[in-house]
Amino acid sequence: MSDEVTIWEQPVSRRGFVAGTAALLAAAGFGRLGEEAFAAGQRLDADGTLFYYNWAQYVNPKTYPAFTKATGIKVKKAFYDSNETLFAKLKGGARGYDLIVPTGYMTKILIAEKLLEPLDWSKLPTVKKNVDPKFLKTSDDPKNTYSVVKDWGTTGFMYRTDKIKERPTTWKEFVALTKKYSGKTTMVDSSPEVVGSIATMLGYSYNTDSEKELDAVKKVLLDLKPHILALHSSNYDTLIARGKAYMGLGWSGDGLLLAGKVPATYVVAKEGGEIWIDYYNIPVGAKNPDAAHAWMDFVYRPQINGLETSYTYYGSPLKRSLLKGTAAGKLLTDKVVFPPAAVVKRLETNKVTPKGSRLRERIWTEFKAA
Amino acid sequence: MTDSEAEVTKRRRGGARAGAGGPRYPGWLALPAVGWYLLFFLVPLGIMAVTSLGEIAEDSYSDIVYSWTIDNYRYLWDDFAGDTHLYRDIFLDTLKLSVIGTASTLVIGFPLAYYIARYAKHKTLLLFLVIVPFWTSFLIRAYAWLILLDPEFPLFRALGLSGFVESHELLNTPKAIYIGVAYNYLPLMVLPLYAALERMDWSLVEAAQDLGDSPLRAFRRVTLPLALPGVLAGSLLVFIPLTGEYIIPVILGGNKTFYAGNLIAQQFLESRDWPLGSALAMVVIGALTIVLLVYARVLGRQERYG
Repeated sequence: MSDEVTIWEQPVSRRGFVAGTAALLAAAGFGRLGEEAFAAGQRLDADGTLFYYNWAQYVNPKTYPAFTKATGIKVKKAFYDSNETLFAKLKGGARGYDLIVPTGYMTKILIAEKLLEPLDWSKLPTVKKNVDPKFLKTSDDPKNTYSVVKDWGTTGFMYRTDKIKERPTTWKEFVALTKKYSGKTTMVDSSPEVVGSIATMLGYSYNTDSEKELDAVKKVLLDLKPHILALHSSNYDTLIARGKAYMGLGWSGDGLLLAGKVPATYVVAKEGGEIWIDYYNIPVGAKNPDAAHAWMDFVYRPQINGLETSYTYYGSPLKRSLLKGTAAGKLLTDKVVFPPAAVVKRLETNKVTPKGSRLRERIWTEFKAA
Repeated sequence: MTDSEAEVTKRRRGGARAGAGGPRYPGWLALPAVGWYLLFFLVPLGIMAVTSLGEIAEDSYSDIVYSWTIDNYRYLWDDFAGDTHLYRDIFLDTLKLSVIGTASTLVIGFPLAYYIARYAKHKTLLLFLVIVPFWTSFLIRAYAWLILLDPEFPLFRALGLSGFVESHELLNTPKAIYIGVAYNYLPLMVLPLYAALERMDWSLVEAAQDLGDSPLRAFRRVTLPLALPGVLAGSLLVFIPLTGEYIIPVILGGNKTFYAGNLIAQQFLESRDWPLGSALAMVVIGALTIVLLVYARVLGRQERYG
């Protein structure tokens, strides 16, 4: 018991919204704060404020004051817990956010839905100078009209090395162990990741939209459902940290963070999986796009980007050489933060078609209702 | 019609006239209420009805084509009537949650309301305590149960109960959902029950007992019928929002039990299929309308004879 992280000292999930945080805020008498984070107010502020709508815990807390000091721009924050929430907000007409951070597939959808403002690259000199060219002209936004890469990571699985004696390296083993240690596995609450990962296990593309193949994926998932403890993008890793679960399907940064707290490791499965990129975008109706440009340019300074990388444990889009000597210096050799080319080669980005997306949602509903 | 019946009817009519003869208020005073109702209920309902007759454009992630098709309803009908019945099962689970949730708040709430209304010295204080949790956001209250149901909750540790709680793992199971529901919806049940019991003339119960009824029989024959409007109102107040409940299953149930509320939220968020989501919502609203009509009938009969 004593080596467990208790609910009072649980680690913080970088991309998800931490359930525990809200509970602890409430316990500490800061209920209002928690509510504000949820309500994501839509009132607009005067010039000199950047309204940043982001994943929770996805910015080094030191970066905000540094930015304000350097530019005089204050940052107002609101948080979302999934790309889908972000999309629903924008599609539903919420306006006034200056900067958002969707994942690649969602950036693509937002472009198609005309929900993004084009960038003014003349205001991004530091980005132009420091970005690793392979993070320009990605398939999500081939002309970089709308996006600058924030960071990138992989989707795989993590497990407690002290709770299970096996050392799984494949999705097949992950699935087998989920059944063996029934009720001890968590997953992110996100259909692309879960359906896609099982598809790669069966030897299909992460992005398959074949009905036959997805049917096979569904069988595996329905078979697995009774053995799942929880589906939460926010606290799936917290449950592992607290020893409630032993394994989890999720994102690399969360896995590394977990490994820093308890005996655990993160694995990119042998069969493959997802590599994702999160982008900075400016949504339509932004009140202060200049401030958004200023933020992007600011975090592309090597020292600042090092701070960010050392906090989120996600891959930096800067030229590697620039990060030497920054806070992220010692992470450059970390195979999870910066997976070697051989690993990256077996990973795919989310390119699910509308048809595939519809089939997957149906599977997801059946999986959850099972 | 006998003479006395005719007399009663006449008196009632007369009573109604007397009521209408009270102070008259200008009709425009109702405008804010009517405007509110139009703007925030009927208009959104209309938008949803229209959306439910649309479909997602081929090769689009979310563009709605307003094609005036009943495909969404046909799809749901096929599911309800067919072999797969995915949605039917979700709706039945939702019905189960709503019924059990309503029943448990009633079982817990009735004695509480009864005590406050009949015996309590500090009625206002107790009612105040029933309402106080509402000052905190619903979400925060649901999250609080994450801590309360945790085996490592300091109180359990102090009492040496951690092992016991651990062995009855509650979190991330349907049990936690039912606990969360009973807690969160309790005030909605207690308040109308209290209102009904508070108005009661307790000398009627005493009279029944004086005339030979046992306390239990007096309760069944006098208290319960008089409290019935409160029971019905409380049950509706709990039952209706429960059919749309989706936060508690996510937070306390591990997000792996799926109810109609979760299903509709998923259609609007993850699936980006607003037409199907709207159709599902319309089905829920339709089902609730039937419940309300039954309620109105029962209550109407109650007022006439009861």
